[in-house]
Amino acid sequence: MSDPTTMLLAASAGAPDSSVAWLLQVPLLPLLACLLCGLFRAWGVTSKLPGYTTVLLLAVAFVVTLSGYLSFGGHGAQVVHGFDWLRVSWGDGPGETLSAGFSLYIDSLTWLWMLFVTGLATLIALYSTEYMAEDQKTGGYARYFSFFSLFVFMMSCLVMSDNLLLLYLGWEGVGLCSYLLIGYHYTKPSAVAAAKKAFIVNRVGDLGLALGLMLTFVHFGTLEYREIFARLAEIQAVVEAGGSAPWQVELIPLLLMVGAFGKSAQLPLYVWLPDAMEGPTPVSALIHAATMVTAGVYLVARFLPMFALSPAALGTVAWVGAGTALLAATIGMAQYDIKRVMAYSTVSQLGYMFLGLGVLTATGAAYHVFTHAFFKATLFLACGAVMHGFAGQLDLRRLSGLAKVPGWRVTAVAMLVGCLCLAGFVGTSGFFSKDMILAEAFVTPGPGYRLLGWIGLATAGLTAYYAFRVYFRVFHGPVEFHAGEEHHGDDGHDDHGHGFHPHAPGWAINLVLIALVIGSLAAAAPYFIDKEHHGWVGGLVHSSTAGEIVRASAGHGEAAAHAGEAAAAEHGGFFGDPHRWMFLASSVVGAIGILLAWVIHMTGRVSADRAPIADALKARLRPWSTLAEKKWLVDELYDALIRRPLRLLAHILALIDQALVDGLVDGVGFAPRLFGKSLRPSQNGLLQNYAVGMGGGLVFILLVVWALS
Amino acid sequence: MSEKLALLHPEMVLFAATCVVMVLGLARSAVWRSACAWLTGGALAAAFVLALRSPVTDGLFPHFLAYTKAMIAGVALLILPVMSGTVDRWYERRVAKGAAFDALRVTRGEFYAFFLLSVTGVMLCATADDLIWLFLALELTSLPTYIMVAISTPRVRAQEAGVKYFFLGALAAATFLYGFAMLFGATGSTSLDAITIQFRGEGLSTIATLGLVMALVGVSFKIAAAPMHFYTADVYQGAASPVSAFLAFMPKAAGLIVLIQLLATVGWSWGEAGDALPDAIRVALWVIATLTMTIGNTLALLQSSAKRLLAYSSIAHSGYMLVGLIAGPGGTVARNGLAAAMFYLLCYGVMNLGAFAVLASLEVRGRDGEPAEADAIDDLRGLFRVRPGLAWAMTLCALSLLGLPPLLGFWGKLVLFTSAIGAGEIGLVVVMGLNSAVAAFYYLRLVRASMLDERDPDAERPIVTEALGRRLAAGLSAAGVVGVVVFASTLQSASHAAATPNPRYDEFLKVEAPARQSPPAATPTARHN
Amino acid sequence: MTTDHASYLPVLLIVLMAIAFAVGNIVLSRLLGPRREGAVKATTYESGMDPIGGARKRFNVRFYVLAMIFLVFDVEIIFLYPWAVSFAHVDPRSPDGALFLGRVLFFLFTTVVAYIYAWRKGVFRFE
Repeated sequence: MSDPTTMLLAASAGAPDSSVAWLLQVPLLPLLACLLCGLFRAWGVTSKLPGYTTVLLLAVAFVVTLSGYLSFGGHGAQVVHGFDWLRVSWGDGPGETLSAGFSLYIDSLTWLWMLFVTGLATLIALYSTEYMAEDQKTGGYARYFSFFSLFVFMMSCLVMSDNLLLLYLGWEGVGLCSYLLIGYHYTKPSAVAAAKKAFIVNRVGDLGLALGLMLTFVHFGTLEYREIFARLAEIQAVVEAGGSAPWQVELIPLLLMVGAFGKSAQLPLYVWLPDAMEGPTPVSALIHAATMVTAGVYLVARFLPMFALSPAALGTVAWVGAGTALLAATIGMAQYDIKRVMAYSTVSQLGYMFLGLGVLTATGAAYHVFTHAFFKATLFLACGAVMHGFAGQLDLRRLSGLAKVPGWRVTAVAMLVGCLCLAGFVGTSGFFSKDMILAEAFVTPGPGYRLLGWIGLATAGLTAYYAFRVYFRVFHGPVEFHAGEEHHGDDGHDDHGHGFHPHAPGWAINLVLIALVIGSLAAAAPYFIDKEHHGWVGGLVHSSTAGEIVRASAGHGEAAAHAGEAAAAEHGGFFGDPHRWMFLASSVVGAIGILLAWVIHMTGRVSADRAPIADALKARLRPWSTLAEKKWLVDELYDALIRRPLRLLAHILALIDQALVDGLVDGVGFAPRLFGKSLRPSQNGLLQNYAVGMGGGLVFILLVVWALS
Repeated sequence: MSEKLALLHPEMVLFAATCVVMVLGLARSAVWRSACAWLTGGALAAAFVLALRSPVTDGLFPHFLAYTKAMIAGVALLILPVMSGTVDRWYERRVAKGAAFDALRVTRGEFYAFFLLSVTGVMLCATADDLIWLFLALELTSLPTYIMVAISTPRVRAQEAGVKYFFLGALAAATFLYGFAMLFGATGSTSLDAITIQFRGEGLSTIATLGLVMALVGVSFKIAAAPMHFYTADVYQGAASPVSAFLAFMPKAAGLIVLIQLLATVGWSWGEAGDALPDAIRVALWVIATLTMTIGNTLALLQSSAKRLLAYSSIAHSGYMLVGLIAGPGGTVARNGLAAAMFYLLCYGVMNLGAFAVLASLEVRGRDGEPAEADAIDDLRGLFRVRPGLAWAMTLCALSLLGLPPLLGFWGKLVLFTSAIGAGEIGLVVVMGLNSAVAAFYYLRLVRASMLDERDPDAERPIVTEALGRRLAAGLSAAGVVGVVVFASTLQSASHAAATPNPRYDEFLKVEAPARQSPPAATPTARHN
Repeated sequence: MTTDHASYLPVLLIVLMAIAFAVGNIVLSRLLGPRREGAVKATTYESGMDPIGGARKRFNVRFYVLAMIFLVFDVEIIFLYPWAVSFAHVDPRSPDGALFLGRVLFFLFTTVVAYIYAWRKGVFRFE
């Protein structure tokens, strides 16, 4: 890899290349799918056509992405110009033209994200063709796939954009799709509430992103990555020479970070994600686990060069990440709804990724995004299969021993593999990616980063515990299950076999589960591919803007003292210093977690809802166990501190509006009406009057011209 | 000469189609008769493609033709489906039931032929480089529309509107023809290039100024600007809605193009900074623009008829476009007022058509029990319950006409504002801003009626016409108002390219134009001194 | 600029003369002309038959249409005269000549289209 500055300059100098214009198909194919499904909805298509159309087009998008990667993967940054999307100028000088093209900025970071976004989207769309089949008759099927494809389009805009504005469009677009899909069952009040919550909480984050975007434009005079990165390289050179970065460059990352925290569900904006599980499960898998929620990670990784210049932002990212990881893990331990456990585990794992970014291991963060996308999709889709088969039943106290029920073997294996990866069991993909982050936390200098490492390690243990708590409760123990509330047959209180027959997953669900299991396991392989950069993902990150800046920044400021150590850590390879004992430590912690889950939930288990040790522990640990089950009362806190005061303010403002503003508006409307009324007689419909008016008007204008010149 | 013919390819196609359509409309077979509309559409599509391939000229605006003609053909293509079911509806139904066919009673062929002829006229205005050509093109645009108005619907009101339109149009034509004559008198030539040379070399004589102002005022009839605006409301209301939609765009486009051609002869190189029109012309346009915006918007406030409301809104929008003409061609997209006006014309064409198309899609039962066109704003009430799609189309188009971001109208207005600010016309910007605010009142009435209001329980609900094309056009326009926004910058760049002056125009004038100039000795000019 | 105005003096004079001539004639005839009233003087045609029936008689619209068609073709033929006279001075084989010919052929083509249209419309049919 060449010197970072020259590479960035080369990237910024590279003119838009038209020979790669075919890459525009990647965002446009999902858009086409969206429009087609919309048409199918309008035509009232009730077959599976919308689903298969979506799968086909997304698969083509994946193939295009893959061939694009194979052709241009190593070519550095490229810009593909689509068309001028927005160009507003109010003057001729620099910074007086706001221009944002529909253009793609393609470097290895883009490839990494797009490969798993399009790949997983294709698989999950295939899964959905079966999962959503019940809605075919109502037209919800086409609507679902239309939103689904729109999401993929928006996600590609977000990831592939070459400027912040198109990224913002994608950012809002995925938020919109998320809203639409969480509220997919719009007749269900809880779904509607969850959708609104997701949307509103995200607004807070989006405000930060919007402010960051505006400040970027004010400071840099452009929103295009190439120019921003070129300017950042200059600033970095100044900093390395002993100067200081402008305050804007320190502030922008903080603002962008707020946006990232909203979208990626970090403290204090994480509350929407668990509720978002009201959406159909494939949506949870794709949007709320694998792809959309990693947009925040992408944003920080993309702008890591800027974050590296802002120590405050980096520290905040690391601390918030670790804090979220721990908090979410503690809540996840006490939940009974298995999908909700997965939701909190997502929040927790996203916390890991931010921790990774905060300690400047973009490689670790990106690799964790990559592995997490696979194993979390696996977990959610396995949960979805259970939910689908047991009429919406998700309570782990009402399901047990499913591994022994015929037809559920694939699901059980998928769940096991997913849990192993999530727990970071030795040799699984999650193991390598999580360790990369933790090891880096211990060696990277920063405010209390060593403590963060310990928090991360403890959280890893908790993660292993709650993952296997779900697995042991639901798939092992005595065979027992009850239908969920969506079952409309005989009452579900009876044991299995009386009135309720779960339907085992069909070919599409099983096929996708198998593919994802293979994917989750194979996601460990890239670690061994490119050893020089800690794996294939590391290679990708290193050749992107993120990787180069990380390496360059290792030598500046307070980090200088530890530069040698960090560099040794980076280049030590597989058996390097921190990673080696981290492998050991986390293997032990993970194993302890799993073992604890076994002891607590399997010993003396008599029925689905009775696990003596677990129940005893819960009683002993009151009130903490209850508080954790009630999510530490965060929602109630927000309600009291934010929602109620805001409502009061709204009522006061409404009164002011009615009394003052309305009166003012009515008054202003009066004058033009009066003027109009005075003109009214001129329009009396008589031809001769009109002719006189035209002639008179001509004379009037001639007189005015004559008088004034 | 042959290179001049190359400029006319779109017009040729349209004229050829006119000849065929006129005769085809008299065919005995109903199938052949119904082919008129399809043939018209085909010709327009071909013209659109040919227009995009228009050659670059040596004139003042080398890329003017491609954007302008493509816009005209494109909007005409959008207007065409609204025209479905406008003429011969009842007669064709009788023929289908077995009545004998009488060629004297059908007007379909003539209607579409006039449609095409008028569009041809607008395109010829863009190609014109001579005052006489300009006059003929303007009349070719207008004459067919007089008849289209009269035959658009078998009601007395339409014929009244047609007659009014014809007489007042003749008066306006006389005015600008008189202006043209004075221009010829003052400069000794009818060639626009020769007139430009004259103006650049020797400035504007009094006669030339007088002629130019009269021409501007006369042409303002075509764009429905004050003081020639009186006909607008009566004619738009009297004509069938599809024809009103046509009138609101095609003559306006022709007028705007002619205004640009005329103003380009004096150029925007006067005033203190050397970037404005000559004072006299600027004052005249200032007065026209201010009056037009204000009269249009304030009168629109009082209307209870949606068609009259849209007519006054059409007046107001002409005022906005004139602001761009005053600002002139600046160097950048933001400063180029001409480009802003041309782009706004396109935006206006799309969004206004949508509003008219929604009205055209609706019918109410008239007093005689026959279905009549929806006209009153009250006819729109409760539309959302009956036809949510149409209600949405009306809402989007009305909000876009109002200039609400992020819809198309906003982007159109934005460049008008930036160009006027760039040209230092702050007064006009203020007037335009105030007028845009006033406009919100009446556009929101359309929105409220169609989306929020409930229909009175005893009143009859609007019926939707069986003419699918009208709904199609409404949907396409609404989609355009939202969707074209994505390409707004691309279109703005295109309009900017179209209205960017040729840097080598002076050389061209030196070489080319004197040769074309007619011998000047015969007419009295200011050459003696 | 004053000379500019002065050059229009002849035009102004002609306008004034025209007005003076018209006004003068009316005034003069009123002043000089004899004025006699009587029953015979009041008849419609002083030196002819008394008209029978009203003048507002309806004619078939076809008369008007036919008259207009005739007018159109008549005027078009008139246009051909100056063309024919000029064509004698142009070499028909030169590009200019081809264009000259092309123009009139186009003109005739439009006439033919109009003729076909009128024919199909049934203008020439009397039933």
